[in-house]
Amino acid sequence: MSLLGIALRNLRRNKLRTTLTVLGVAVAVMAFLLLRTILASWNASIEYAAKDRLGTRHKVSFIMELPKRYVDRIRQEKGIQAATWANWFGGKDPRHPEEFFMTLAVDPASYLDVYNEMQVKPAEREHWLGDRQGALIGDHLAAKLALKVGDRISLESGIFRGTYTFNVSGIYTSQSPTIDRTGFLFHWDYFDQSRPEVFRDKVGWIVSRVDDPAHTADISASVDKGFDSLDVQTLTMSEKQMNNSFLGMFSAILQAVQIVSIIILLILLLILGNTIAMGVRERRHEYGVLRALGFLPRHVATFVIGESVALGLIAGLIGVAIAYPLVEYGLGRWIEENMNTMFQWFHVQLDVMALSVALALLLGAVAGAIPAWRASRLTVIDALRRLD
Amino acid sequence: MSDANAGQPMVELKSVDKTFFRGNEPIHVLEDMSLDVPGGMFMALMGPSGSGKTTVLNLIAGLDRPSKGQVRVANQDVGTMSDGALAAFRARHIGFIFQSYNLLPVLTAAENVELPLLLTKLPRAERRKRAQTALRVVGLEERMGYYPRQLSGGQEQRVSIARAIVHDPSIVIADEPTGDLDRKSADDILALLVRLNTEFHKTIVMVTHDPLAAERATVIHRLDKGKLA
Repeated sequence: MSLLGIALRNLRRNKLRTTLTVLGVAVAVMAFLLLRTILASWNASIEYAAKDRLGTRHKVSFIMELPKRYVDRIRQEKGIQAATWANWFGGKDPRHPEEFFMTLAVDPASYLDVYNEMQVKPAEREHWLGDRQGALIGDHLAAKLALKVGDRISLESGIFRGTYTFNVSGIYTSQSPTIDRTGFLFHWDYFDQSRPEVFRDKVGWIVSRVDDPAHTADISASVDKGFDSLDVQTLTMSEKQMNNSFLGMFSAILQAVQIVSIIILLILLLILGNTIAMGVRERRHEYGVLRALGFLPRHVATFVIGESVALGLIAGLIGVAIAYPLVEYGLGRWIEENMNTMFQWFHVQLDVMALSVALALLLGAVAGAIPAWRASRLTVIDALRRLD
Repeated sequence: MSDANAGQPMVELKSVDKTFFRGNEPIHVLEDMSLDVPGGMFMALMGPSGSGKTTVLNLIAGLDRPSKGQVRVANQDVGTMSDGALAAFRARHIGFIFQSYNLLPVLTAAENVELPLLLTKLPRAERRKRAQTALRVVGLEERMGYYPRQLSGGQEQRVSIARAIVHDPSIVIADEPTGDLDRKSADDILALLVRLNTEFHKTIVMVTHDPLAAERATVIHRLDKGKLA
């Protein structure tokens, strides 16, 4: 028997209250863990960005286009291995207007060359390259829209007028978290010819692959310097920086998620604090007895904080134990398949689990601090008198 | 469990005053009270409610300090000790028996008895052995693993007595030890206290309303309005 052992046994006193508290805190830990996983997954495209890819965009804004001839010039830059380009199409399937997926007009051959972690069957690749109306779609999107190779699909754009009809030439997949598996890629030529003459020969952005990732900064600077004297200047950055800048548009959402996760921690703190405060109030007399027997205020504080920390720890472990399989064997896959544009990779990370448990433990200590302080300050006579 | 100080003054109260305040109004609970309790004595303190019995007990036990005068217990000036020193004094010299037993419900009888020994440096096995011995003294060795809810009131009070003597204190303080018990259980508890006094030479100071309980003591003092009658 030890002081901490007694503190742990106190958890069994009011089993219903302890159970409800543990469940309440476990749910809060689960919610916190899921929100942190959302943040981590959202940032995954930044963290897992290819180190040897550069993105070049209009210096002023992402939404302003670049002359297509810039692609050839970048290809001639020292250290550049390959370059491709893309335009955002903003396509939607009129049959599934609520589904959001990435639709890009790309140069097929060079795109597959630069994004060489995309996996496409050779026959389907050839089929796509040879069909001007062909589309290459991600396996998650194919599953979501129930499409297979050979199907025809018409898309409408939120940016460009008219209906565009495509033949599904192939389905790509990838094991890399940098690849959006709900993407819809089609021939840039087909897209460009449909635009009014004045808008033609302009690309949204240029992506290039470099020989040596160690020189990306130098190459980026060199690329931009080459366009400095022209009317349209560029901003070249690593894929990581580019993704970061893209995700910066969602910073308000990310901040909201951060704030909610902090609110959840406060709720967790209040649940624990309430339970511990009730327990201390009920056991005031016992603390008086312990003090009478010679136990010191710090011993009483150990009882209270020990119980509170144990509650937080147990609840934290239960919360993680529920959240992990929930994400890894269900929710995560569903999110990857249905919200792939935002979450290409949705998994619980070890550091997020550790953080959740550590915070539950820490908040247990914080929640117990004030009740422990109050319990330890009780005089023996007051503590014994109140209930006698 | 012997007391080497038998016959020597175990408790000395010299001209003790104790005043409480209700707001700004002073309430004089004890006035110029002097009392000696020799080692090995079984003393009963009687008196009506509000007479100051429990205050005397609290002063002797080191739970409170006098407003004036001196309180010496086991040759130590209790009234001038710091809170920490008082806690250590209680842990070493005082055994408490409460009216409502005050056992921790989450601990077994043996663990409750072992509780004061957690403040010592005794190894676990020795603590357990001493708790077992104390429970044997009160006749509850076979109920070591029982929780308080599984014991009768009399048994709970016997566990409480075992807890009071397990660390071999200089003095046992009993505050209405039979107040919550039926006559038969009360008689058993009083017989046990007498045995602790006669067989183990424990100094006992007992506060009681019950004349039959007081009769078991070797000396009876009566308090009235803060003064010994």
